[in-house]
Amino acid sequence: MSRSAVGIILRAEWRAWRNRIAKANPLRVVGLVVFALLGGTVFGGFLFALAAAAGHLLPSARDAMLSGAFTALSVLMLVVGFPSVIATYFAGRDLMQLVLAPVRSIEIFLARSLFAMSANLLVAVVFLIFVAGVGAGSGASPLYYLLALALVFVQVLLVTALQATFMAAVLRWVPARIARDVAVAVASIAGGGLYLAWNLTLRQTLGSFAPRHQPDLSSLVSSLQRIEWVPSSWPGHALSAVIEGNAAATLVWTGITLVFAIVVVGAAALLYERTLLAGLGLLGGVPSRWRTRRRKPPRVAAAGAGSPGFAIARKDWIAYRRDIRRLSRFLPAMIFLLAYAVLLIRPGRGIDLFWNDVFVVAFVSLFMSMMFATTAIPAERRGYQLLRLAPVTSWQLIRAKVLFTLVPVLALTGVISLGLSLAGGNSPWKTLQVALLAVWLGVGCVSIGVSAGAIDPNFESADDRRSVGIVGTFAAMGGELAFGLFSVGALALFYLAASLAAGNAVAGLPVAATPAFALASVVIAVALAAAGASVVVLMLWLANSHLRGFENSIVSN
Amino acid sequence: MSQTPHAVEARHLVKGYGVVRAVQDVSFQVPRGEIFGFLGANGAGKTTTLRMLCGLIRPTAGTALIDGFDVFAQPMEAKARLGYLDEEPFIHPHLTGREFLDYIADLYRMPRGPERHRRMERLLGLFELADRDGELVGAYSHGMKQKIGLASLLIREPSVLLLDEPTNGLDPRSARLVKDLLEELATRGTTVLLSTHILEVAQALCRRIAIMDRGHLVATGTMEELRTQAGSAQATLEDLFLSLTAGPESSELIERLLAPQP
Repeated sequence: MSRSAVGIILRAEWRAWRNRIAKANPLRVVGLVVFALLGGTVFGGFLFALAAAAGHLLPSARDAMLSGAFTALSVLMLVVGFPSVIATYFAGRDLMQLVLAPVRSIEIFLARSLFAMSANLLVAVVFLIFVAGVGAGSGASPLYYLLALALVFVQVLLVTALQATFMAAVLRWVPARIARDVAVAVASIAGGGLYLAWNLTLRQTLGSFAPRHQPDLSSLVSSLQRIEWVPSSWPGHALSAVIEGNAAATLVWTGITLVFAIVVVGAAALLYERTLLAGLGLLGGVPSRWRTRRRKPPRVAAAGAGSPGFAIARKDWIAYRRDIRRLSRFLPAMIFLLAYAVLLIRPGRGIDLFWNDVFVVAFVSLFMSMMFATTAIPAERRGYQLLRLAPVTSWQLIRAKVLFTLVPVLALTGVISLGLSLAGGNSPWKTLQVALLAVWLGVGCVSIGVSAGAIDPNFESADDRRSVGIVGTFAAMGGELAFGLFSVGALALFYLAASLAAGNAVAGLPVAATPAFALASVVIAVALAAAGASVVVLMLWLANSHLRGFENSIVSN
Repeated sequence: MSQTPHAVEARHLVKGYGVVRAVQDVSFQVPRGEIFGFLGANGAGKTTTLRMLCGLIRPTAGTALIDGFDVFAQPMEAKARLGYLDEEPFIHPHLTGREFLDYIADLYRMPRGPERHRRMERLLGLFELADRDGELVGAYSHGMKQKIGLASLLIREPSVLLLDEPTNGLDPRSARLVKDLLEELATRGTTVLLSTHILEVAQALCRRIAIMDRGHLVATGTMEELRTQAGSAQATLEDLFLSLTAGPESSELIERLLAPQP
C-alpha cells in the first residue's frame, strides 16, 4: 500500500527540524528551553490569574471578553502570521520539488498547513491561556476547555486559510519574496506598536490603580458588544454560552463557526491549487516589470582616486535602504527606542533634569550601537571575501564601519539630547555638556559594537539577529556597559569636584568641601575616562587582530 | 613590478584541518602570460590551493607568491595585482550591476573619472549586461552573476587571474566569449590560472596543466609531457586525467549499478 504524500512530506520536515536541533549548539538549545519555560510560566501564570479574576469579578462582561479575545487573536494573527504563510506556501525553495513530484496540490496544501500555522499557533497559545483563565474564574465545566481548545485551533486554521487566500490573489502581481519581506516589515512594526501600546496601557493602569475599586469597563464592554456579529467573535459567543449552560446557543455558534471555517479553508485550497498551477507560487515568477525602472543616464563619477573606506560606507548605505528585511527590523526598534527614551524614562523624585538627560543619552547610545554597530561587519556576509581579496586592511574596514555607523547614531542621539535639553529648559552650557557626552558615548559605543561584531562574526547567517555569536554579543554588552559607566561616572566626579571646589559639600557624601578632595575627584574622573577609553582601544585592537587571521567562513564556502 | 619571471608561485603549500590534510606539499610556477590549467576530482584540493594563492586561507606550511610578492607577508602588493573569481561569486544582491562595478573599482583605488566610466561601459556591453545594469544583482540569473563577477575582475586589469570554474552557468556564446577573452588577455601578458572540470576547455586553452588528486599534485606539464608521463602518445586529456586520478573504471561502476539485484 502506498504511503500518503502528506505523511511523507511531514516526516521529511520533521527529520529536517530534528537534525537542525541536533546540530545546534546544545547550550543555546538548553538556554532557549529554560528561557521559554521560565518566561512561559511567569507570563502565562500572570495572564491566567488576570483572566480568572476578570471572569470571576465581571460575569456580565464574560461574553464581551471572550468574543473580544477571539477577535483580538484573529487580528493579531492576521498581522504577524503572514510571513510564515508566504514562506511556507509560496516562497519555499522545496516547493519546486513538490510540484514536480506526483503529489496533488491539495496534499501540498495540507502538508504545509502545520508549518504555515506555526506563527499563528504561537500567538494562539497566549490567547488559549487567557480563555482558560476566564473559564476557571467562571467555574466552567470541562466541556468549556475542550471546546476552547478546538475553537482556538479552528480560528488559527481559519485565519491561516484567509491569509493563504489573500496571498494567492496578491501573488499574481507581486513576487512572493517581496511580499514576504513587506509582510515581515508590517508584522514587526505592528508587533512593536502593539507591545508598546500594551506597556503604556499597563503603566497607565497600574499608575492609576486604586485598591478596592472595580475598574470601569462599561465603555470597553459596549464597544465589544458592537462587534458581536463579526465572525471572529462567534467562537467567543459559543464559549460564553457553555458557561451559561445554554446548549442551543453553544451548538448554533459552534456550528456556524465550523461551517465558516470549512468554506474558507476549502476556498484557500482551491485557490492555492490554481496559484501553483499558474506557477506563481514558485519563487515569485511574476512580471519582470516589477523590477525594471526607467533608465537614467549613467552618472560619471567625479575625478580623484577611489577610496575603499567611502566605497564600503556608500555600499552599506545603498544596500541598507534597499533591504526590506533589515529595514523591517530597524523601524520597530526605532519605535521602541523613541518610546522608551521619551515616554518611559522619566525623572525620578529628586533627580535633576540634567542627569535624566544624561541617562537618556547613554541609553540611546547603547541601544543604537547594539543594534547597528555589532552587526556592521558580520552583515557583509560572503561579501567579506571580496574585502579580504581587495588591498584593504582589516583596520581600514573597521574604520569604515565605525564611520558609517557613527553618523546615524550621533544624529539620533544629537536630536534626542538637544530636544530633551531644550524641552527641559537646560542652560546652553548644560545642553553643550549633554551634546558632548552624546558624541563621546556615540564614538565609544559604536567602536566597541563594531569591534565586538568583528571578534565573533557569523558571516554565513542570512539573519542579522544571528550574525554575531554569543562571545561577540556579551563583549558588546559588557564593553559598552563598562564604557558607559566609566564615562557617566567620570562626568559625575567632575561635577562633584566643581561642587567641592566651590565649597559646597554634597549631602550624604562623607567628603569635605576642600580643594584637596576636589583635586582627588578630578584625578579619579580622569582615570575613569581613561579607563573607558582603554576599553575602546582594547576592543578595537582585539577586533583588528581577529579579523586579520579570520578564515572560518571562507573555508566553509 | 617585481623582477621574478613567475607570476604565480606555490612553494610546498600544505593545508590541514585537524588531522585531515586537504593540500599536501603542492609546488608549481606559472610564468607571465601563460594560461595554466588546474584539474582534479571533486574534493581534490583545487579550490583550497587557489584560496591559499589569493590569500583567503593561510597555509599550514609553505608560501604563495604573486608577481614575486608573498601573499601573506606583502598582502597589499599581492592583492593589488590579483583577481580571483570564486566558483559561486558573491555579488552584493542589493546593488545594481553598475554600482557593484563602481564599488569594486573604489575598493581597488582605481582613479574615478571618464576613463573608468568608459571601461565600465565597454565591459557591460561586452558581457551583454548594458541594458540590465540598472537592475539589482539579486534579480540576476546565475550566468549574469558570473558575468558581472568577471567584469569586476577585468575592470581593474589585474596582472594575474585565478579563476575557479569561470564558465560555470554561462550560455555557449558567453562561454566562448570568456575563452577568447582569456586567450587575448594572455597574449597581452596577463597570467591566468584556470581551475575547471571541463577538460575540453583546459585542453584548448592551457599551455600547461596541473592535475591534483586527494591533496597531491600528481602531474604538471604540457599535453606532450603528460602523455610521456602516462606512457601513451595518443591519449586525450580525459584519458590522462582518469589514469592519473586512479579509481574504479566507470564501466565497472555502471555494471555494478545496473546488475540485477538478488
